[in-house]
Amino acid sequence: MSGENKKMSRGDLGLQIIIFGLGFFYAIVYYIAVPGVIDLQAVSDELLSYITAVLTAAFAIGVINLTRVHWINIKRKRATWMFSVILLVCLYSMLIFSLIASPFALDPNATVIPNSVIQFSTPIWQFLYYKILVNINSSIFSLLAFFIASAAYRAFKARSLEATILLVAGLLVILGQTPIADVIWPGFSVIRDWIMAFPNTAGQRGILIAAALGIIVFSVRRLVRYPW
Amino acid sequence: MLELIPGRVSQAVLLVVVLVAIYEATRIASKRKLKTRGIPGLDRIDGWIEEAAKLNRPVFFTPGTGGVTDPDTLAGLSLLEYIVQHCIQHNAKLIVANSDLQVQQMTEDMVKGAYTKAGKEKEFTAETVRYVSTRQFAYAAGVMGILRREKPAVNFFVGLFQAEALQIAETGRTEALYQFGGTTNTDQLPFFLTTCDQTLIGEEVYTAQGYLSSDPQAISELVGPDAGKIIAILLMLAGALLLSFGNSLLVYLLGL
Repeated sequence: MSGENKKMSRGDLGLQIIIFGLGFFYAIVYYIAVPGVIDLQAVSDELLSYITAVLTAAFAIGVINLTRVHWINIKRKRATWMFSVILLVCLYSMLIFSLIASPFALDPNATVIPNSVIQFSTPIWQFLYYKILVNINSSIFSLLAFFIASAAYRAFKARSLEATILLVAGLLVILGQTPIADVIWPGFSVIRDWIMAFPNTAGQRGILIAAALGIIVFSVRRLVRYPW
Repeated sequence: MLELIPGRVSQAVLLVVVLVAIYEATRIASKRKLKTRGIPGLDRIDGWIEEAAKLNRPVFFTPGTGGVTDPDTLAGLSLLEYIVQHCIQHNAKLIVANSDLQVQQMTEDMVKGAYTKAGKEKEFTAETVRYVSTRQFAYAAGVMGILRREKPAVNFFVGLFQAEALQIAETGRTEALYQFGGTTNTDQLPFFLTTCDQTLIGEEVYTAQGYLSSDPQAISELVGPDAGKIIAILLMLAGALLLSFGNSLLVYLLGL
């Protein structure tokens, strides 16, 4: 595990200095300004722009990894190899049409790519993006409703005192959200507001404050000790 | 000349106070060799990995949809470091799925390095660390697919999760896997608690590494955040009392 005593090599020491220097710089820039001498905010923003360059390289690595994993599936004729074929066809066709006809196209002014190719590709890209990708995305998102129902069923089983409190609180909040609740008894929405504003907020803030302190210690540990 | 940015002065002062308190608490804990309270379930990780190896089923890990600048993701990767070592030790197959491209690079480097260090580089393949998708629900669908097809024995998902967390967790639950989750996202925590066998709640995500470590220094560092919590509680009590008597001095000071 990371905390064990490790001897620091020269490479590790170099990395430690870079990590600490950059980390300390970004922490300081948040609090301190040097007006008239140097715009630290601009420097930090400029440094961050290098992340974009790194990310672009990382994108290629992602595509390579996906291709390798699914190519192995196809090559070994595994049970789901057909899905891998579909994935690779979709991946590369979307990549090609996006480079030609999306809002982030490589050559939108048709300097190199012929205009006819762009005009041919645009409706295909629009179909793939708006008619397929967006809809599949929404479908996967909508699955959440069913997952929430099964998770709620499991959570609302009154097996212990804590689960019973959760069940009662949950039912009161659900009831308070419904329009009919106020018709039955106006107190339901008052109870719902109280549960959400006090016990719920108190619990959430407790977790957030503790997490923030955890982040401070975690970050300091990362800044001052490498290897982690 | 150097000047503190207005509106952030109190934050800078508080940060220094908290850092000093954490340092002092850690130093005292290190001297006195204090024992810390444990996190329930952490000791079961090793047993689950061993069981996965016996069943000849893989161990699955995903750090969520966060990037390398998200502390939750980095904390998840710290846990991954521990999991990889124990997978190597027990000869359990490991599958890691990523959503972020930079995290993919980091995890690949980390896992490959661990296998190489253990002299088992042949066991690390292109399928060990997989990039799924940067898009949230494509990633969720990909992870659900891996859980269904590869049938791992344990599902570790510790990191930054949004709505996809429940989809992953419920799929794991349906497949009757051991599930170990962890996040600081309070919106997703109830779902983790209802679907996982063990859950790291909030701060525990960052401190799990220390609890799992045998290093006395790392263990004593766990006491540090408690000092910060005491300061936070004192500030809250003072603020509540002062405001109750109509005094907004603390609100003014914290707003500086």
